[in-house]
Amino acid sequence: MNPAAVRAVARWELRLAVRGRLVMGTAVTFTVVCVLATLLGLRSLSDLGLAGVGAGTGALINLAILFPPLMGIMLGANSLSSARERSLLPLMLVQPLSRLDHVCGVVIGLVGAVWLTIGFGFGASALLLAGVAGTADIGGLLAIVASALGVGVVSVALGVAISAVSGSRLQALGISMGLWFLFAFAIDLVLAGVGAAVHLGPLGLFVGVLVNPLEAGRVLMVLASGGDALTLGPFGAYLNQTVGAAWTAVAVCASLATWTGSSLLLAWTGISRREP
Amino acid sequence: MIRTRKKRPPEDAGLPEMLAIQGVRKAFGEHVVLDDVSLTLKKGDIALLVGANGCGKSTLLRCVSGLTAFEGSVRILGAEPRSAVGRGLIGYLPQLVSLPESVTVGEVIDHFASLRKISVRTPADLAAAVQLPDGFLPGLQRPIGALSGGMRRRVALAVALLGSPPLILLDEPAASLDAGHSASLWETLKVLREAGGTALIAMPLLVTSLLRHDLASVADRAVLLDHGQVVHDGPVESLRPVPVLGAHRPMSASLR
Repeated sequence: MNPAAVRAVARWELRLAVRGRLVMGTAVTFTVVCVLATLLGLRSLSDLGLAGVGAGTGALINLAILFPPLMGIMLGANSLSSARERSLLPLMLVQPLSRLDHVCGVVIGLVGAVWLTIGFGFGASALLLAGVAGTADIGGLLAIVASALGVGVVSVALGVAISAVSGSRLQALGISMGLWFLFAFAIDLVLAGVGAAVHLGPLGLFVGVLVNPLEAGRVLMVLASGGDALTLGPFGAYLNQTVGAAWTAVAVCASLATWTGSSLLLAWTGISRREP
Repeated sequence: MIRTRKKRPPEDAGLPEMLAIQGVRKAFGEHVVLDDVSLTLKKGDIALLVGANGCGKSTLLRCVSGLTAFEGSVRILGAEPRSAVGRGLIGYLPQLVSLPESVTVGEVIDHFASLRKISVRTPADLAAAVQLPDGFLPGLQRPIGALSGGMRRRVALAVALLGSPPLILLDEPAASLDAGHSASLWETLKVLREAGGTALIAMPLLVTSLLRHDLASVADRAVLLDHGQVVHDGPVESLRPVPVLGAHRPMSASLR
């Protein structure tokens, strides 16, 4: 590894990303909906008392599971495939850096862009919370933010891997959108539907959390914010009851790390074997 | 006027060739693009790689730069192009490259300079890092998106020449350049030649044959590729103008 080259590529990718419409649009939209969710949560707090905290937190968690991962996977999918179609990738790969350096730099730069977006959205929410309800709920929010940052890393790595092995930019973006939809909605819907009929059992529920990085991230966020069985969902609640909160957190962190590691490996293999 | 090549310094004796291509073969499916291509360049050689469209010039440059897999052997100063040693020995200008439009010329130069661990913080640094005639590079503050095709080509060319890499591979460097900047390009290559630089420059046959007298002062040799094979390797003057566009004629007819 060449840390200086990785830094240079990361800086370049971050610069390109923050000047792109996708990041700007997502950052603005995410910030607006985070502020709205926080305001609604604060209103629930005044109307319902402590019961409103769960609703507000749940809304923020759902936002963190939907927006940043979508942005991350799309940015990643656009990265290498777009550079290849512009013939920019050959120019990059003849520089004195390895393919692994390049992949790591791209991922780090794009993760920076996703983290900035998360920072804007949750930063605005934190300011609102601190101004209206004091700093008591900030700890939970910070825990959600930390988990969201982890999910951001997974989504970018997955997107870059797709980008490395796809035949075209359009194909990479299409696969990424499909995967995001699968993880965000389809797996839950299918498992919920099938689960009632075929009794998935403990192993099925366990796998249900771990094979879906967004579900793993959601469980981690709920655990980090001290959530209950209602907000953990069926898979998270089962894990929490069976192995306890600490081991559940370890399991979902391991799932996120595995997704990231295997995505980086796929991206590295793809960029090494495919012609740029 | 044709320049005579300077005598190679005696300290080069015993060093590996700058570029050694041995029996390179490349096929895309059934279609053989390069067939048993062998070529060597010593330090200070500047060779034109000439041929019609689709004869394999760009593919050969991609093989040399380690961007594509092939059968045979390519060594740059004895190192494989994709090895840790081989990387960074090459400055490469692809035939087509689209730089991002949201960055400035200065940011592009700075990025590629940082990858080569070169500082370009001051104009003096930049002038030392890229030996280009004044005015060749567009203003550093100008966004790439605001540049014409020819200007973008000049920026990409500057990237290829950054830090004076030992071996420079240029794929149709004069494409999109107007007459004035083409002349600047040839002047740049003359400076490179006088400084002992080594380059392999792919050029379309028609352009090469029309400019052969200008190119003779820039390059030592013209290597003619035809259907993926080297069919001629000699002085630039040995190429003669292509008289009729579109006429079906064997490539060897371009030789005097």
